[in-house]
Amino acid sequence: MSSDYEISDDDENYYDYDEDMIDGTQDEEEEDGDMYMDTYGDDFKVAPKNKRKPYEIEYESLSQAAVEKLMQEDVEHICGIFGVDGSTAALLLRHMSWNKERLIEKYMDNPSKVLVDAGVTVKEPSSPSAPVRSHSSSNSNSNANNGRRPTRSTSKLIGLASGSKSPKIPTVSPPALRPSKPTRPTPFVCPICFDDSPDLKPLSLDCEHSFCSGCWTAYVSSKINDEAEHCIRCMAEGCALVTPDPFIRALLLVEPTEPVGEPSLQKENVATWARFQELLVRHFVASNPNLKYCPYPSCTNTVSCPGAASKASLATVVPIVSCGRRGFGITEEMSQSQPVGMGLAAKEHKFCFGCPIESDHRPVVCNVAKMWLKKCRDDSETANWIKSNTKECPQCQSTIEKNGGCNHMTCKKCKHDFCWVCMGPWAEHGTAWYSCNRFDEKGSVEARDAQSRSRASLERYLHYYNRWANHEQSAKLSVELYTKTEKKMEDMQITSALTWIEVQFMKKAVEEVEKCRTTLKWTYAMAYYLARGNEKELFEDNQRDLEKAVEDLSELLEQPIEAENIPTLRQKVTDKTVYVQKRNDIVLEDTAMGFLEGRWKWNVAVEGFDEPEKVEF
Amino acid sequence: MDARLRRVNKEIADCKNDKTSNIKIDLIDDSPFHLKGSFPGPEGTPYQGGTFEVDIVIPESYPFQPVKMKFITKVYHPNISSASGAICLDILKDAWSPVLTLKSTLISLQSLLCSPEPNDPQDAEVAKHYTTSKSSFDDTAVYWTQIYAGGPGPQGKKGKGTTMGKEPRDEIAIAGLERAHVEQFEALGFERSKVIDVLRRLNYRGPNVAKLSEDRVVEELLK
Repeated sequence: MSSDYEISDDDENYYDYDEDMIDGTQDEEEEDGDMYMDTYGDDFKVAPKNKRKPYEIEYESLSQAAVEKLMQEDVEHICGIFGVDGSTAALLLRHMSWNKERLIEKYMDNPSKVLVDAGVTVKEPSSPSAPVRSHSSSNSNSNANNGRRPTRSTSKLIGLASGSKSPKIPTVSPPALRPSKPTRPTPFVCPICFDDSPDLKPLSLDCEHSFCSGCWTAYVSSKINDEAEHCIRCMAEGCALVTPDPFIRALLLVEPTEPVGEPSLQKENVATWARFQELLVRHFVASNPNLKYCPYPSCTNTVSCPGAASKASLATVVPIVSCGRRGFGITEEMSQSQPVGMGLAAKEHKFCFGCPIESDHRPVVCNVAKMWLKKCRDDSETANWIKSNTKECPQCQSTIEKNGGCNHMTCKKCKHDFCWVCMGPWAEHGTAWYSCNRFDEKGSVEARDAQSRSRASLERYLHYYNRWANHEQSAKLSVELYTKTEKKMEDMQITSALTWIEVQFMKKAVEEVEKCRTTLKWTYAMAYYLARGNEKELFEDNQRDLEKAVEDLSELLEQPIEAENIPTLRQKVTDKTVYVQKRNDIVLEDTAMGFLEGRWKWNVAVEGFDEPEKVEF
Repeated sequence: MDARLRRVNKEIADCKNDKTSNIKIDLIDDSPFHLKGSFPGPEGTPYQGGTFEVDIVIPESYPFQPVKMKFITKVYHPNISSASGAICLDILKDAWSPVLTLKSTLISLQSLLCSPEPNDPQDAEVAKHYTTSKSSFDDTAVYWTQIYAGGPGPQGKKGKGTTMGKEPRDEIAIAGLERAHVEQFEALGFERSKVIDVLRRLNYRGPNVAKLSEDRVVEELLK
């Protein structure tokens, strides 16, 4: 056992982790798991007890149920104020994109108009009995009555045969297809599927446009699954009434008392209902700037991060968050009950709250990261080719490829005559046809200067780009490294007395390397845009130190394992990992502080920052 | 029976029984989900007297998703693509309702011919022609109805006269241009097809003629 080795005390996390680990082997399995969760979680989870690092942002991860609870709170709030039932309040809030203040204001102003606009009640025809709507009359008796009409309580699945309804203000002219109402006894024919079997169940909203339950279900499913639409209007042409949630629920989820339909169909309907719930949550999240939906496939978590909700805040913070889940397509139970073992391949759902980049782009802020990615997409390949194959015309700076012929060039665009070798004007070559031995001519020196300036900017870009791409490539290869490492960990257990939990230092090291490579990658994007000066030099010093440390650790991890070396290897790797972690912290912390202090100056205009004083690379 | 099939069969049968609307729906092949609809051009419009055929495809989730329709017959109309027959109409997109039928949709197409919406065009060139010179547009639409939809052609003294009863199709009239204008630029040595193409693109019609200098046209022709 390697109890003799020491780790520097200044990294408490790692120290604790390792000590616990050794203890853990003697204790029950459960404790291992707990300890594991703790040490792994503390980097990102914002449990209030943990100290937040300056480069981390405060956020909270919410499950779908938690977001639904938030929605429910808003709905209840509105219910309390307006005296309407829950599903009406929900429709009103969705109509106003969950802006409670605006809804309250509008509703107080003219309740019936809001109810009609939100598709809760049918529009009343402008009959003489209806009062002319105006601000002064909005509190009049009749209007208030209309506004408070408990529409939703009556709207639960009204069949045509469900008895006569209280006399009602006539609705929008129903389409001619509908069977006329007075002749109620005539058998119901669904105007959509033309089915007329007597056991057909006609359903309608308050507008009394009746259709059979089968068509309703098919329609609602089509809207939810094909169009991802949560606001589902009545099927009648031009009818603006929106189906409330209880209506959709009743269509999709069969009550236990009712005869159960085809099992496969029923399962599909349950899935549709779940999808509907998800659409509602997504709409709520999209309406709230403090929330963002996890972009990972089939993940339904939401992150709340009020600190990065405004655009202005994105100039000082890099809001990298994690929804708390790991891996792809695994269910909640799995990802939470199995933190051990699957850890290597199951990556955390980390994303940026402030921009669409679905990975960690610390330390650089969103706008700069975006600029860089765009530049890379546009320029990289082209720039490489241009650099190796062309020169610019000394007069008009058009890019020219010389694909044969002599050195006397005539620019196609500006007709300038120049020498390909010295770039000077051809006229100065006098009689020295087709050969250039002139170097110090004033014209050619100037031309070459301009040329080299333009080359230099390309070279400069490629310098940063190649390093960026290199780290990206290495980070991509980390999957391979993971599998290799896992194999090594197994070997170690076989060839030495180390237990499974004791070889975890390898895994920790690999994870750290990948994390740091991501940081390094983005430091090159940052450095490309940083204005020259002391600050940039300090930044590059930190970058260099981190890069060196990461490369050293990577090399260690690639080394073959021999039984007698294992204790020393473990010692080395553990030390290096701690060191790398520290260097990474330094880079991220210093950059984050720099943003807060407004220390970083750019060489180009960046949204949210002051204009650069002068462009200097 | 499949609800979609039952509904489509019923719709086809209803249409056959209805003698008053003049709307016809026929099978193209064995499939009841790929049909051909046809209706007469509405009276009092440039489409009067023509018969317009529409390609109908019934999607899997019909009637909960809209039916796909496009004109087979070429139509000169701002909301119908003069090249592909694609139709710009709200009920074929987001305003679709499952209570709409093939027949009612075809009737809507018929009424679209009565009331063009040049501000929401499918075919921008045709829409420009419509807004620049309504009478010239009408002449072209009548000519298209005559040659593509079997219409009677220009009636009375109306129209350019020169196109009346001409057998080989008149490319100038199809493009809705003035013969004199085309000949003017042809005289400069450009090919007729090229001239027609450019003038149509520039909308060289009505009051626009004064706005476009000859140089501008020649510049386009030289491109």
